Amino acid sequence: MIDFELTKTQQQIREMAHQFAKYAVRPISLEADRTHRIPDEFMQRLADMRGLMTQGEVPKEYGGEGAGAGELKDKKGKTQKNRTALVGAEEMAWGDISVIMSLPGPGLGGPPVEFTGTPEQKERFFSVFKQPGLHWGAYGLTEPGAGSDVAGIRTTCRKEGKHWVLNGRKCYITNGARADWVVVFATVDPALGRAGHRTFVVEKGTPGFSVGKIEDKMGIRASETAELVLDECRVPEENLLGGEASYEGRSKEGFMAAMKTFDSSRPMVAVLGLGIARAAWEAARDFVKQNYLLARPIPRYAQIAETLARGKRALDAGRLLCWRAAWMADEGLPNAKEASMAKAYAARAAMTVCRDAVQLLGAEGLEENRLVEKWYRDIKVFDIFEGTGQVQRIVISKRILKEPPSF
Amino acid sequence: MISFGLEEEQELARDTVRKLAAEALRPRMRDYEKARAVPDALRQQVHELGLGTIDLPEALGGGGASLVTAAIVHEELAVGDPGLAVALASPAAAAHAICALGDEAQRQRWVPRFTGADGWARRGAIAYAERGSGGAPDRFATTARADGDGFVIDGTKAWVVDGGAAELVVVFAQLGDEPAAFVVERENPGLKVGARHQTLGLDVVEASELSFEGCRVGVDARLAGGGEFVAATARLFARLGLVNAARQVGLARAAYEFALDYTQERKAFGKAVAHFQAIAFTLADMHMDVEATRWMVWRAAVEVDRGELHDAWSAIAHAHEAAWRVADHGVQLLGGAGFIRDYPVEKWLRDTKALALHGPPSEALELEAAGAMLGHPVGSALPSPWVQPFFT
Repeated sequence: MIDFELTKTQQQIREMAHQFAKYAVRPISLEADRTHRIPDEFMQRLADMRGLMTQGEVPKEYGGEGAGAGELKDKKGKTQKNRTALVGAEEMAWGDISVIMSLPGPGLGGPPVEFTGTPEQKERFFSVFKQPGLHWGAYGLTEPGAGSDVAGIRTTCRKEGKHWVLNGRKCYITNGARADWVVVFATVDPALGRAGHRTFVVEKGTPGFSVGKIEDKMGIRASETAELVLDECRVPEENLLGGEASYEGRSKEGFMAAMKTFDSSRPMVAVLGLGIARAAWEAARDFVKQNYLLARPIPRYAQIAETLARGKRALDAGRLLCWRAAWMADEGLPNAKEASMAKAYAARAAMTVCRDAVQLLGAEGLEENRLVEKWYRDIKVFDIFEGTGQVQRIVISKRILKEPPSF
Repeated sequence: MISFGLEEEQELARDTVRKLAAEALRPRMRDYEKARAVPDALRQQVHELGLGTIDLPEALGGGGASLVTAAIVHEELAVGDPGLAVALASPAAAAHAICALGDEAQRQRWVPRFTGADGWARRGAIAYAERGSGGAPDRFATTARADGDGFVIDGTKAWVVDGGAAELVVVFAQLGDEPAAFVVERENPGLKVGARHQTLGLDVVEASELSFEGCRVGVDARLAGGGEFVAATARLFARLGLVNAARQVGLARAAYEFALDYTQERKAFGKAVAHFQAIAFTLADMHMDVEATRWMVWRAAVEVDRGELHDAWSAIAHAHEAAWRVADHGVQLLGGAGFIRDYPVEKWLRDTKALALHGPPSEALELEAAGAMLGHPVGSALPSPWVQPFFT
């Protein structure tokens, strides 16, 4: 069936997320941006409502409570998890992206643990989120010399007794400093390429594991972006995701763990960008309504009207690409190409809309107390993280060149 | 529930049409373009498959399919050839207009002839657009006045698709301060067919000028739109416009797939040009445009089936714009070969522009969409006859 209506549950989740974004998140948005941190009272409130507002999902069987999104099944027994997650996420980003990125939860670290961890590992690492207080997971792939080019990572690991010893630097790690654990990608020998990759969960306080500098950024300034240093860092062998045997003879395992994360994270990141841009679009629309369109027909302002109309449909088209990638994931279909398309298209659309919003507000669009200037700064990173627009196009073009023609 | 999955019968329809498009449309499209006509045998074949009337009501002999199913079918037809996709379906446009604007008696009287066994040989037309000289842009220069037990229509309509061969024309005219529509049959002595237009693309589609001189019709020839004429007309435009937008998706897909093939064959500097990033990234952008546009059209079509028009104008405008972009890349990626008629891409770049002028142009749609976003009622006025070139 071709359909684009949200289910009742999805509508409720959207409504709940929107209320949270509007009444809890938006009011602290400016202050968080200026001070580069989330106010303590807000974090305290999160602790009180723990489980309701988390980032990334803890699987139900390992104590996840979330919003029950993972439990939604259609008539054929298929999950709606990915689609539902997108619906909620867009609303949250509409509130404030940095705050959302700082929500406790496994974050991007969740999928590799879920997809490649052993049952014992899942139990161990996800149980952290059942403990009192606020807890984060993080995802450490990018290095000063390698990001999307996963094959190029240079952080090394070598086996010593019952430990692995890691050496290297990870950079631009979201929630890296506050995380209870970080999924770290390393290599036994760079010359082996993908076959040499190993994925570890490195816990806070592990000897030789430390936080380097916290980055000062153009946008998403209240989100913590950390450099992590691994200096003769001794990680217990039980922390090698999947266990040693899983890497033998399956040369791509480590690489695939990294890639699998992207299949669900790229549409998610894309839809977050759309949430920001929708906020900017709505602000521009309201501004236009109040300042231009009093008692005068729209055709007098055809250019402004067209900018608004174009912006809206670019966001709609981007959202549909995200939904499509998520639908495929829920259906169990391979969606790497579609995930990249969603990310590439939505990021560009979102950037255009945020730019136009500043333009439509004129000088007021530059003012610090107007959120549009913040959204303009926040949105740029969406064309960069989780793979730049260029990297997405590498992924897409490699795949379409292998596709048989439909005609 | 958010779902992009086709029903079994939609898959079947898609596969059937794809086969027809590959075997009967694409290989002969240049012949028909030159002849500026569709052979009867092809019309008959398509009619027997029920494609042109697929979304007319079942009770009137149509396929009774949803608009989104029609969109799937028309995308595939247009991958075969956009011109044929229009020419094979346009005769039924008048039947759509009568379904949307007429009462039950009028539907029973005029629609079944297009869905019946010899429906393939019949043409209907919608006469809307006028050359914009004199008068006001929000009024038809063509007038109707009540006269005795009927109406008398006077004026000239331009760019009427199938106007030359139509046995039945739905003509829009100004009735006092109201817009109105009437059914005029071919044998009416007040209906005169003018010259056939030469067009930029879609050469296979016949479009002519029609004039009405003291054209007298009965009172039962007026299509009243169930008392809400403007709203009913907006729904009609949304349906026809989305089918046309689906053709743009098909056209864009044809251009993309042709370029995808060609650039993997064509070598330069020692490798297939598709492996240079400038080309590869362009192909990726084309693919994204095609897919995103298809979902926009589908979403709007599903909504229109439910009676909601709010995303229709955006989707149509998006399709026109995206298809042009993809068709242009299609020519560009073939380089010099793209400009030569030995290859189909130059045709698609002409056709996409012509398709974009079937139904209200993007600029008018965009204003309508923006108006809705700013709180103005949707479909509160008809598009100006001046900016309404073709109608299918």
